[in-house]
Amino acid sequence: MKFICQADNTVMEFVENIASENGGSMAITFKCPTCGSGIAMVTNPGETQMVRSLGVTIGHEVLAAAPEPMTMIRSALSGQARPLAAPDAPEPVWSEAALKRLAAAPTFVQGMVRRLYTDYASQRGYAEITPAIMNEAREALGMSGM
Amino acid sequence: MTHPEAVPDKSNILGQVLAQRERVASRLAHVKRVIAVMSGKGGVGKSALTANLAAALAMQGKAVGVVDADLNGASAAAMLGARGQKLEIAPDGVRPAIGVCDVRVMSMDLFLPDDDTPVRWQHPGGLAADAFVWRGSMEANALREFISDTEWGELDYLLLDLPPGADRFDTVARLVPQLADPSTGGALVVTIPSQVSHLVVRRAIVAAREAGAHLIGLIENMAGYVSESGDVIGELFPNGRGAAFADQVGVPHLGQVPFDPRLARETDAGRPFVLEHADSAAGRAILAIAAAF
Repeated sequence: MKFICQADNTVMEFVENIASENGGSMAITFKCPTCGSGIAMVTNPGETQMVRSLGVTIGHEVLAAAPEPMTMIRSALSGQARPLAAPDAPEPVWSEAALKRLAAAPTFVQGMVRRLYTDYASQRGYAEITPAIMNEAREALGMSGM
Repeated sequence: MTHPEAVPDKSNILGQVLAQRERVASRLAHVKRVIAVMSGKGGVGKSALTANLAAALAMQGKAVGVVDADLNGASAAAMLGARGQKLEIAPDGVRPAIGVCDVRVMSMDLFLPDDDTPVRWQHPGGLAADAFVWRGSMEANALREFISDTEWGELDYLLLDLPPGADRFDTVARLVPQLADPSTGGALVVTIPSQVSHLVVRRAIVAAREAGAHLIGLIENMAGYVSESGDVIGELFPNGRGAAFADQVGVPHLGQVPFDPRLARETDAGRPFVLEHADSAAGRAILAIAAAF
């Protein structure tokens, strides 16, 4: 959709997109580059939500970089989505005793179990995974037999 | 005044949508086969079968991923032992959860904070009554992000566990053209040996064909009842005739999986049944089906 300034038959240029406080409306403003006249297109909540549901943005140049991953899911899940972990958070180190214990688990669950213990320790700020941490995690997560 | 058709649209909505599609294609270029597991009918054991087929493929040494496309009834993470894992942003997307046999899983369950929170999409401005207007679009794009924004890596198989009904299949088929080509994927259809299920599944098959899908085959779940000791007890449903039904609808009959009480119990506990019961009647059936595609 484009807006034309009828005074001088010029396509109006996008200025800014302002969301309302409750996020239910967008005010998208355009300005004629020739005569300076401006307009604002204001969306109703239904129109705003349709745009959001498509995972696109209005009124901006095509982004050079890819958007953040899973932007629509994370932003649209009514304030309830679990946050994703930061990309460069250092993972806890596994002690030799903990690795030995992990190796005793059935092969087909080792990858999964390793991830569970690593996440558990990481979320609690433990720098090292030891058998004691594994015991703690087992009790907290109900992971009997692992 | 002349019509300024030649002036570029700075929103470039079409460009953004095409870029979304390109990200899906780019991600799926690293997947050898995409298999949608569908059924028009709910309650046929589709998700449990998906989890067990994923485990069966992984037991064969394949790299497997599962997209839990049933956004409002997410169960794949639980069935593959991947619940509770924190998702991480990686350089190339979001790292999937890791389930048994290193099956990679992406599911809405991994985004929800607890067991009492259903999927609720934001509806600012008091839109709850009109939510039905845009919910379909929201869910279609959520599915797109699951596929395109997950750091799947190199996969031999990506299984899509679809929700009951045929309405989501059209969306999936448009998003994943691999489903139309036998060399790159297709759809597995799951039914149970009941006439009502056959009626519903028949229509879902028609819808899938109209969407251009290659139908790999029909699986008849809960075909017979086997005790924990392996004794055949009988039939759960009279006159199932899965092979005959497959013939009627023109879909290869891949096999029958008997109902084994352990299958539901262990899969519910995040330990796909086939892992430790490969020699059981149900286990052998699942492994044979996995070998067929």
